[in-house]
Amino acid sequence: MEIIRGYPDYMRESIENVEKTRPDRLKATFKAMTLEEREEILNQYHPDYKPEAKRELAFGPSKGQKVPHEVADLIEAHPLVTPDMVDLSQIDFDADILIIGGGGAGTVAALWAHYSGIPVENILIVTKLRHGDSNSMMAQGGIQAADRVEDSPPRHYLDAIGGGHFTNKPELVKALTIDAPKIIKWHEELGVMYDKDEQGTMMELAGGGTSRKRMHSARDYTGMEIMRTIRDEARNLEIPVIEFSPAVELLLDDEGKAAGAVLYNMETEQYYIVRAKAAILATGGFGRLHIQEFATTNHYGATADGLVMAYHVGANLIDLDSVQYHPTGAAYPEQIVGLLVTEKVRGLGAQPVNKEGELFVYPLEPRDVEAANLIRECYGRNNGITTPTGMRGVWLDAPMIDELHGEGTIRKNLAAMVRMFERFGIDMTQDPLLVFPTLHYQNGGVEINEQTETSIPGLFAGGEVEGGVHGKNRLMGNSLLDYNVFGRRSGIHAAEYVKKVTIGKLSLDHVVKYEKTMKNAGIKTDRKAPMVLPDYRGKQVLSRALNIF
Amino acid sequence: MAEEPLPKMIKVYIMGKEYEVPEGLTIMKAMEYAGYRFIRGSGCRAGFCGACGTIFRKKGEYKFQTALACQTTVEEGMYLTELPFVPANKALYDIDELTPSPQTIVALYPEIARCVSCNTCTKMCPQDLEVMDFIQAALRGDIQQAAELSFDCLQCGLCAARCPADIVHYHVGQLARRLHGKYISPRSPHLKKRNEEIEAGTFTEEMETLTQMNLEELKKSYSERDTEK
Amino acid sequence: MKIPYYPGCTLKSTAKNFENTTLAVSQALDIELIELPRWNCCGTVYSLSSDDLMHQLAPIRNLIRVQDMGYDNVTTLCSMCYNTLEQANQLVKSDPEKLEKMNSFMDREEDYAGGVDVIHYLTLLRDTIGFETLPVKNSLDGLTVVPYYGCLLLRPEEVSIDNPEAPTIMTDLLTALGATVIDHPYKLECCGSYHTVDYKDVVCEKTFSILSSAQERGAEAVVLSCPLCEFNLDFRQKDVEQELVPMPILYFSQLLAIALGINCDLGFDQHYVNPEPLLKKKGVLR
Repeated sequence: MEIIRGYPDYMRESIENVEKTRPDRLKATFKAMTLEEREEILNQYHPDYKPEAKRELAFGPSKGQKVPHEVADLIEAHPLVTPDMVDLSQIDFDADILIIGGGGAGTVAALWAHYSGIPVENILIVTKLRHGDSNSMMAQGGIQAADRVEDSPPRHYLDAIGGGHFTNKPELVKALTIDAPKIIKWHEELGVMYDKDEQGTMMELAGGGTSRKRMHSARDYTGMEIMRTIRDEARNLEIPVIEFSPAVELLLDDEGKAAGAVLYNMETEQYYIVRAKAAILATGGFGRLHIQEFATTNHYGATADGLVMAYHVGANLIDLDSVQYHPTGAAYPEQIVGLLVTEKVRGLGAQPVNKEGELFVYPLEPRDVEAANLIRECYGRNNGITTPTGMRGVWLDAPMIDELHGEGTIRKNLAAMVRMFERFGIDMTQDPLLVFPTLHYQNGGVEINEQTETSIPGLFAGGEVEGGVHGKNRLMGNSLLDYNVFGRRSGIHAAEYVKKVTIGKLSLDHVVKYEKTMKNAGIKTDRKAPMVLPDYRGKQVLSRALNIF
Repeated sequence: MAEEPLPKMIKVYIMGKEYEVPEGLTIMKAMEYAGYRFIRGSGCRAGFCGACGTIFRKKGEYKFQTALACQTTVEEGMYLTELPFVPANKALYDIDELTPSPQTIVALYPEIARCVSCNTCTKMCPQDLEVMDFIQAALRGDIQQAAELSFDCLQCGLCAARCPADIVHYHVGQLARRLHGKYISPRSPHLKKRNEEIEAGTFTEEMETLTQMNLEELKKSYSERDTEK
Repeated sequence: MKIPYYPGCTLKSTAKNFENTTLAVSQALDIELIELPRWNCCGTVYSLSSDDLMHQLAPIRNLIRVQDMGYDNVTTLCSMCYNTLEQANQLVKSDPEKLEKMNSFMDREEDYAGGVDVIHYLTLLRDTIGFETLPVKNSLDGLTVVPYYGCLLLRPEEVSIDNPEAPTIMTDLLTALGATVIDHPYKLECCGSYHTVDYKDVVCEKTFSILSSAQERGAEAVVLSCPLCEFNLDFRQKDVEQELVPMPILYFSQLLAIALGINCDLGFDQHYVNPEPLLKKKGVLR
């Protein structure tokens, strides 16, 4: 099998079809689906809608809620740390606000807690990997905000709630959309380099399910540009961060208020006890659970730790029956299968086409609908292309973009994508990309209110870990927005809360209770949670592993 | 699933130790196949975070090369290690107190004046950025060019690890970009206006109405909304 | 004519006035200066030790850029940049082994073939336009100046743009523009260069002796071609302990712009002693 400009020779025939149909497709449109059509295709082809992929939680505040097996396996598992393992009387760190997670939401929360009057030395960010290692760093295409004259926050509200199948909590969508323009303004003041024209007008594109162009971007490194700017700001303020030391269990006080956490320094295997007046969960998503064995766009640490810890203390969860599969994950070459190909590619005009070169779907449906369409095209209609490793995908006709907007558009606006494929010999300005849905986002999570409070006093949550904002499906650009809006609110409200609260005696009793509850529900297992990190070691190695020193 | 043919195995040297791994894996996956479980050295696994900066030599070659472990395929005879951390001084500043003058960057990072234009940093960069050029731009006060050329920087630290002048290029680039975003790029006029409108309560009533709508009303409003072409 | 132009760092910031006036003048004289699209700091003289090839890379890299543009000559204004580029150029032209070593190290660049000539702007004016044929519209008649060469235009002898002991190039230019040019013994004297950072007094001594000598002979202003000399002779006047009448220090390109009647920003705000009052008094500036 010969490789021609990155692709196996047998795929070249299909690529030629794409090139043949391109001139006509430049002006072509495809009708968007009605609400009924959306429901139908989701039921038939969306992975979420397979009943056998989920089960009901057997106990706890969200008993009866359907969640993917991979999530239930972590909930129905033994906590890593029990009271007899640690000494709570020795406090290693005292903080007003403990922020669990060093990604976007955690960093924004820390900054706004400080702006709200908490001295930096009373804030502590703890994170599993490095400060900034997160899904926030990896986001590519854009952040939504209704700041154009032709647009409005109410319109953004409608887009978001419709995309979420009208199951989103109204007050959270209101917060998300009305706060958006001030988030962008704050970013401007911090020095985030959003794409603008010479007059300063933001260049804004459409995303799936948006009725107006309101996607602000920084090339296709939007997540990275925002994250590194807010991280720089946190560093300038010298906000304390402890890296490689994930929280593995929350602490409560004797009144059941959040009171801190047990941290585990992965490098020294030492635990730390953090006492805090409030805790903000900002632990991100769950892609590394590989739900239904999908590849994922998520970072190494996305293992749902926050969900598990929250459930251990009795917080309730919402909308975890809904998992977002990004329609366009890379499907070839094998080394990058599952990695994100930003929706911005479609925002700039690229169309998904099948092996015959036919456009088969409106390119900017909301993500779940778009993903279902791609799955149908590959598995229902067998119009996809199969890779040498058995992966199926359809073409995303990227070269269209330069034809529509002028040569150089792709290189300028999709630098990250150009680079990712160029490393493997594929030139996306000349050839289409092979894509297939990939596990991407946790639509639901720990339930919050507008003040980002969970059902546990003193426990706040912001970013991907929380739920209720996006309903059953998040729109592009609302996740970067989510962590900024709710990270900010969590910082502000936690700061208010800690001014009035006193913490009692630290306790891990909730772990004992949890074990008992699990036993009473008839759960028998060896599993432990949180997972902390996935394990990708070769099976051969694992079969010979010894734990002897 | 059909029986897959056994992959061809190749030899790689991870921190000096020989391992056999299947051909076609990324360096990161090859290290995991060999039995390494990353604590440091794996971040986004997609080429965006710089956690997996790797330096290597190929068998029989003297040239020192770099890569991102998650985005690079292993080759027979690769002699490699990841770089777990780079100690670096970051200047502390209040961006609101700075000005976009030509002296701002060199005042905060005076060591950039030691640059001899040896280009080692550029050679190390796994993103193929013109690192020397952005340091030179920063040195002469061309903030715009420093911001543009450094934009795709992942802050992996490989450049700083080898610079003979002890420059920490990625921090310099970060400062240049913030200065550019805040002071040189013009402010967005419509953004300012929209924020004033929200402040003045222009949308409060409409939002209230929306949050009170029942499912049928919402579905209707949603289906009837027009989409910009 | 078209010629690649190497600006050097200070010409983009503290000596922007030197560049602006030269660009304006060049345009009027039909000299198209093409700024090198990529260029780095020349390294500045102090780093040039002939066995330390690492420090020679910076200037040679710029000459490779000129090669990349398809030209075989480049012009520059700052004496220090001129000197650095030319010294490095001569080193590699005379020592093929060193050139090969450097080319080998700079393995991402095209090899430098040694064929680029570095031409100071004064030389360019004299040899391609000719001082006599400059279209003077606004004679500097009435203004008495001294030329100041400093070190780097003339030393070492191999790179000198004129007779290193008795140069006339600036005098010839200024005379052609109508000014009265006085000779003075300190025209070749070092200004103190980088001693201005750590040994200010040394520089101030020089500033005093150079300027007082010029004043004694009736000069009203000093004309030069180097941003560092400009700083030492101009800004250091405030640190000179002895009595000194404030004396304007000018780049030759500023007087050139005035004499050719070119309307451009002369950049007098970048000076310590403002030259404008003198020039107006003398009727040179309206």
